[in-house]
Amino acid sequence: MPGISPSQKQAIAERWLAVALETYPAQSRQFLEGEKDPFRNPVGQSLRTQIPKLVDELFGDMDPQRLGQALEELVRLRAVQQFTPREALGFLFLLKPICREELPADAQARAELEDRIDEIALVGFDIFVRCREQIYEIRANEAKRRVALLERMNPEAGR
Amino acid sequence: MPEATPKPEELVQINYDPHEKDWRKTRPEFRKGTFCHAALPKDVKYLGLPNPRDWQPPDVDWKLPPNWKEIILQGMKERLEKFRSFRLFMDICVRCGACADKCQFFLGSGDPKNMPVLRAELIRSVYRRYFTTTGKLFRGLAGARDLTEDVIKEWFYYFYQCSECRRCSVFCPFGIDTAEITMMVRELLNLVGVNTNWVIGPVANCYRVGNHLGIQPHGFKDSIDFAVDDLEEITGVRVEAPINRKGAEVLFIVPSADYFATPHYYTLLGYLMLFHEIGLDYTFSAYAAEGGNFGLFSSHELAKRLNAKMYAEAKRLKVKWILGGECGHMWRVVNQYMDTMNGPADFLEVPVSPFTGTRFENTRSTKMVHICEFTSDLIYHNKLRLNPSRNDHWKVTFHDSCNPARGMGLLEEPRYILRKVCNHFHEMPENTIREQTFCCGSGAGLGSDENIEARLRGGLPRANAVKYVRDKHGVNLLTCICAIDKATLPTLLEYWTPGVDVGGIHELLGNALIMKGEKERTTDLRGQPLQQKSEAVHA
Repeated sequence: MPGISPSQKQAIAERWLAVALETYPAQSRQFLEGEKDPFRNPVGQSLRTQIPKLVDELFGDMDPQRLGQALEELVRLRAVQQFTPREALGFLFLLKPICREELPADAQARAELEDRIDEIALVGFDIFVRCREQIYEIRANEAKRRVALLERMNPEAGR
Repeated sequence: MPEATPKPEELVQINYDPHEKDWRKTRPEFRKGTFCHAALPKDVKYLGLPNPRDWQPPDVDWKLPPNWKEIILQGMKERLEKFRSFRLFMDICVRCGACADKCQFFLGSGDPKNMPVLRAELIRSVYRRYFTTTGKLFRGLAGARDLTEDVIKEWFYYFYQCSECRRCSVFCPFGIDTAEITMMVRELLNLVGVNTNWVIGPVANCYRVGNHLGIQPHGFKDSIDFAVDDLEEITGVRVEAPINRKGAEVLFIVPSADYFATPHYYTLLGYLMLFHEIGLDYTFSAYAAEGGNFGLFSSHELAKRLNAKMYAEAKRLKVKWILGGECGHMWRVVNQYMDTMNGPADFLEVPVSPFTGTRFENTRSTKMVHICEFTSDLIYHNKLRLNPSRNDHWKVTFHDSCNPARGMGLLEEPRYILRKVCNHFHEMPENTIREQTFCCGSGAGLGSDENIEARLRGGLPRANAVKYVRDKHGVNLLTCICAIDKATLPTLLEYWTPGVDVGGIHELLGNALIMKGEKERTTDLRGQPLQQKSEAVHA
């Protein structure tokens, strides 16, 4: 989207970060927002670092690799937290009202922007489903490791 | 029926504050993936525990005994009188919040009831209501609340999302041992038959057969024999692995996963090689074939029952002292409880290494030495020939397993060994290792697969630190000295930090150990081809 200033991007990223943090319980928010050590606060760190990258892509090239990486970190996290799928991915759609308020734009530009947000959401959906599927795979792999020696000792068992 | 598809404008109408209510009025949501299944009635019966029945946590009716409230309050009263620590921990917390952001379950979930201070408040509020004057008089104003069935459900949910790792305790200015608060709550829950299959099943197995997996003595022997054959193929050396041999100098006890699961098994191979090479006069016991003690995750009484076999077997086999393998909570039990539970072990001698003469004064009371203490002492005295380049395919980091690190202060010994047996060792960030180590999120009986999402949340901070060294140094192996870590960290890393395997210290030692009469080593203990064949002898 041409003509958007760095300060506008930053304003959008900041507002988006704030609403993403609001998806967590109030008593936890202060910590998630305030603690800057990446190892003491991995969730806050992911939100803080990946959201500006997504905003860059939204107003930039929508590069599939960069977009995927940034989304992956956020969605992978939210896929195992106490969210319904709607809650896990809903924060992506909140970009729309934020952009509407932050960017006075003509109808065509807005439609184009919202198409991009939909695209981001669809990529997020792919990642979310992949993560959920992976949870079942890693459960199965763990079960196999638990009896690995038993299988080696009895190669015919279970055939 | 599925919910009706929401319209776009409805999609953004999300309640972002599901927990805005007073914490005392919220109830846990038993969402699949976040809780462990209930114990099977047959196991509860076998152990003689109360209220065996079919039930599951999402059920509305947990089929508690009619007088459940009386039982819990009486149980609390007894424990407050018996354990001064419990009374102290209920009274002295000033809610300073130093622990609040130290729990990996809080860090990974963002759920405030996983803050140690608030988790403990779940029982402190009940303590105040029934055991303090201010609480009895002023109720809610004094931070007290009534004991209801919902409170029991909440206890179950959150105290089975505590891995008793004691990271929070490191930061508590009063030294409150939060793990012991969790232990007390789990004991109380046990009194009304609220316990989990992942804990009670292994306890019943161990009580009956001697190990958590329920492997009978001939199965145990089969596994050990299989390992001996395997080693001969890899090294060309036939080692001996005696079982139940009376009169041996040392009884060696390992966690049962070492002889049945991977990657634990490679560590077992390392032990066998080491003992052969130095000529240790030792024996396994088919009954004390389990270092782990899931009793600890249920009640002190069950922990005592399971632990008793260590000294009983040491006595029966007439050994002089005990050596223990790479196990986690075994060392918490050994160091902090065994001596008073089943000791004193007057019939044993203070352990002395027959090869270096080192007297392990730190184990004067328990008579039990950690394998890392034993091995690092051997290396320090140049008793082993090592070729660290045989581990050159590994870029290694070390996860301090909670119990050896915080429960017994074993911080330097594993690192000392690692530096001698491999050439590429990189530490994770300082605030994620040693005393501050992040738990795997699966200890204390949480390592089941049905609660995988809770585990993934709890394991995030650890995996996040591993990711840092993977990206910075190309680390591809996370070593640790705990069987639960070895079982669960591969799963966590598969999800959070792919490309990093998990292994044991003595697996790497086995790779590096130059044995007398060995053939040229072409693979490591996993059967992976070695990167280099240079024989740069270290010691």
